[in-house]
Amino acid sequence: MKSLVNALNSNRFVLLLVLLLFLLIVPLIMKASWVSLVNEMLIMALAGCALNLMLGYTGMVSFGPAGLYAVGAYTTAILLTRYRFPFAIAMISAPILAGIIGGLVGWFCVRRSAVYFALLTLAFAQIIWTILFEWYGFTGGDNGIVSIPIPEFFFTISHCYYLTLIIVGISLLLLWTIVQSPFGKTLQAIRENPGRTEFIAIHLKRYQLAAFVLSSAFLGIAGSLFCVFSGSVFPDYAHWVKSTDMLVICLLGGFYNFGGPIVGSVVYILLSKMISKQTMFWMFFLGVIIVFLVLFMRNGIVGFLSEKLAPVLDKTSGSGPDEGTR
Amino acid sequence: MNLVTFEAIAGQTLSGISVGMVLFLIAAGLSIIFGTLKVLNLAHGSIYMLGGFLCYGFTSTFASVPGVFWWTLLAAPMIVGLVGGLIEIFLLRRIYAQEMLYQYILTFGLILIIGETCKFIWGVGYHTVGAPWPFNGKVSLWGLSFPVYNLFLIGCGFAVFIGLVALMRYTGLGRIIRAVTYHREMANALGINVPKVYTGVFMLGCWLGGLAGTLMPPMSVVALGSDMAVIIECFIIVVIGGLGSLPGAFIGAIILGLLTAFGIYIIPKLAVAFAFMLMIVILIIRPWGLMGKPE
Amino acid sequence: MILETQKLVKSFGGLTAVYDVNLHIQEGELVSIIGPNGAGKTTLFNLLTGHISVDSGRVIFKGKDITKLPPHAISRMGIGRSFQRLNIFPRLSAFENVQVAVFSAQRKSRNVFARASKLARQETEAILKSVGLLDKKNIKGALLAHGDQKRLEMGIALAVEPSLLLLDEPTQGMSPRESGELTQLIQKLVGERGLTLIFVEHDMNVVFGISDSIKVLHQGKIIFEGKPDEVKKNEEVQRIYLGDEKGTWSSL
Repeated sequence: MKSLVNALNSNRFVLLLVLLLFLLIVPLIMKASWVSLVNEMLIMALAGCALNLMLGYTGMVSFGPAGLYAVGAYTTAILLTRYRFPFAIAMISAPILAGIIGGLVGWFCVRRSAVYFALLTLAFAQIIWTILFEWYGFTGGDNGIVSIPIPEFFFTISHCYYLTLIIVGISLLLLWTIVQSPFGKTLQAIRENPGRTEFIAIHLKRYQLAAFVLSSAFLGIAGSLFCVFSGSVFPDYAHWVKSTDMLVICLLGGFYNFGGPIVGSVVYILLSKMISKQTMFWMFFLGVIIVFLVLFMRNGIVGFLSEKLAPVLDKTSGSGPDEGTR
Repeated sequence: MNLVTFEAIAGQTLSGISVGMVLFLIAAGLSIIFGTLKVLNLAHGSIYMLGGFLCYGFTSTFASVPGVFWWTLLAAPMIVGLVGGLIEIFLLRRIYAQEMLYQYILTFGLILIIGETCKFIWGVGYHTVGAPWPFNGKVSLWGLSFPVYNLFLIGCGFAVFIGLVALMRYTGLGRIIRAVTYHREMANALGINVPKVYTGVFMLGCWLGGLAGTLMPPMSVVALGSDMAVIIECFIIVVIGGLGSLPGAFIGAIILGLLTAFGIYIIPKLAVAFAFMLMIVILIIRPWGLMGKPE
Repeated sequence: MILETQKLVKSFGGLTAVYDVNLHIQEGELVSIIGPNGAGKTTLFNLLTGHISVDSGRVIFKGKDITKLPPHAISRMGIGRSFQRLNIFPRLSAFENVQVAVFSAQRKSRNVFARASKLARQETEAILKSVGLLDKKNIKGALLAHGDQKRLEMGIALAVEPSLLLLDEPTQGMSPRESGELTQLIQKLVGERGLTLIFVEHDMNVVFGISDSIKVLHQGKIIFEGKPDEVKKNEEVQRIYLGDEKGTWSSL
């Protein structure tokens, strides 16, 4: 057992490759409904990792990530529907606009910290929701926007899946690069001790704002992908309940690990679908799971496994200066 | 409709105040809970909704009993308070030491649990409860027709406010609660059983939420989803007034009520957004609210 | 003169924490600030590093007026600081703690493309070595012994390449042996890097052992300043201090 675990740990790269290969052949080996499921999991995994850049890495608790996610979704939807922009441009505009709005919102939010910061993010997200809900002429109001003219090529489930896989793959790679960079380490230092960082000549608010903007941009990409995946957008994409879903995904998987939100997304979506097939009161069980999670598994699945496997793992297997958050 | 007539302004003001009073009734519980326990209780809206469903449940089941509404008003908030006690003892206690994020997510889980339980017991439809005698008529003020029950609610709001302030300022219990709120370690050192006080305060907060939930149905409907609708408004009130300040919650509720009433009048679509904008302005300029204390 | 303050004043509500403080510190000096608890020492440090705003007066560092600069800018100009209460990055390893400060010094903190684990290794290890933590570089900050955490603090402060270092009670909570070791370390580092040092201390052995000059702070004012011998002999200082600090006068 020990040698198996050791082998798995020191061959993380190989594991990743196997996972990637598996993801590549999913449409070939699974039914369409399962392919859609994996598609959804990939999108939420990206959203979770985007949120986690702020949450797990920089220590900024946001109650409103869904707002920026919805900005991305609606940007693509409106550009495709109202203005008939080319598909590629409609997609690329999502992170750009989400980043810009994230910058505006973030500039206000980082003026405050902790509870007040969180409440500010909540308020801004609700303003976004209200605008989406009320501006019938531009956003379709509470009807949302349906039958979005995505290119016919992506009507096929497997084509849409590969689009998601490629974009999520690239985005996660970018996020990983950011997190492993000096900038990423600086963000972690901010999480550990924000006050101290000013004493090492770091302009705290500027870095927090940068994390906010980057997080928003990647949330925008996720939103845009979901728009293409589902062919429609609704104001509830910005609702605080959706934001809480994202927070739960991060918590479920584990904040202090890059892969946490990915695991969280898979488990959360799988559980939701499985339980909702069994009973119409599936949200009750979801609530119970969430309560259980907070009380007994605060470090998420990945954190829990790391702790349990720590005595088993051989600690000299090259885990150098990557310990703070992998 | 003429904006500037006295009737119009008076009418909207009264409407705004009655809405505000109801909001105060709901938010008061949240304010007390946050003030003393420092917990962001997302499930407070669910507590309110539970009160509403209990109100409907009792009044419809025992409809033949005279004065059933008043008996319900006595019983339902107490039941909700007890539920609150159970929640505090078995769940919340374990996460006081944790960061706010965990409290937020835990209480979100509670929203789902309580909401689905209500769905299970009372179904998905919406229900109405008639206004109880003697408040079941209408009265004419400034040319506008007002349900008497609304005026009763305004009265209740004032009564609850005065009652709570009196409790906090003039009773021994109030002194203990204030001691635990502002000087927790000292209270502990003086032999006050702090965990019991926490439980008591949480139950009081839930009792208030349940009371609001029981009082509301004759003025609107009992339905699933009211928990989510109400909690955000509570947060806005508590932020504007000051996290933990009861007079602040009162003022915040009136402000929100008036803002909504006049906002709907002026720019109906964005009236809701006004409240959030005010919340943002307060959080940035004066985060401890109009009547709170800077830390 | 590397640091000069002119008539610094700071009050909190009705309480005056610092009043009419005029400092003149020369380059390379080792200055200690002593005074009873509540004398205003930490407030003074906070004023110098820009963490609280000055009510009136000026702070001039290397000829530039830094009174209104934000803390990160002052840090960038070359004033470093260590803290009374532990102020490290707990979940990062000792190596990462120092490395993140080195990145800042090398203006690499904005770099999103390079792999952090490959950068600044030599500089980081050099600093870890000079504070004696090289063999503990992979241990998480929170898991280090108290004395080692203090060394780590020093390492972080040094990594930003300060010319002036402010140390707030560096030997607090340490045994005499540990204090001695830390003091020797401080002297070595100061000598190696030509730093100017201002430290707040209660341990009189340290104060009289290594200071070039001592300033006595009482109720926000500097009531006496001079060389260690002069301070020892001053009656007013003795009066304020009798029974207050560890290490009585007679044992020095």
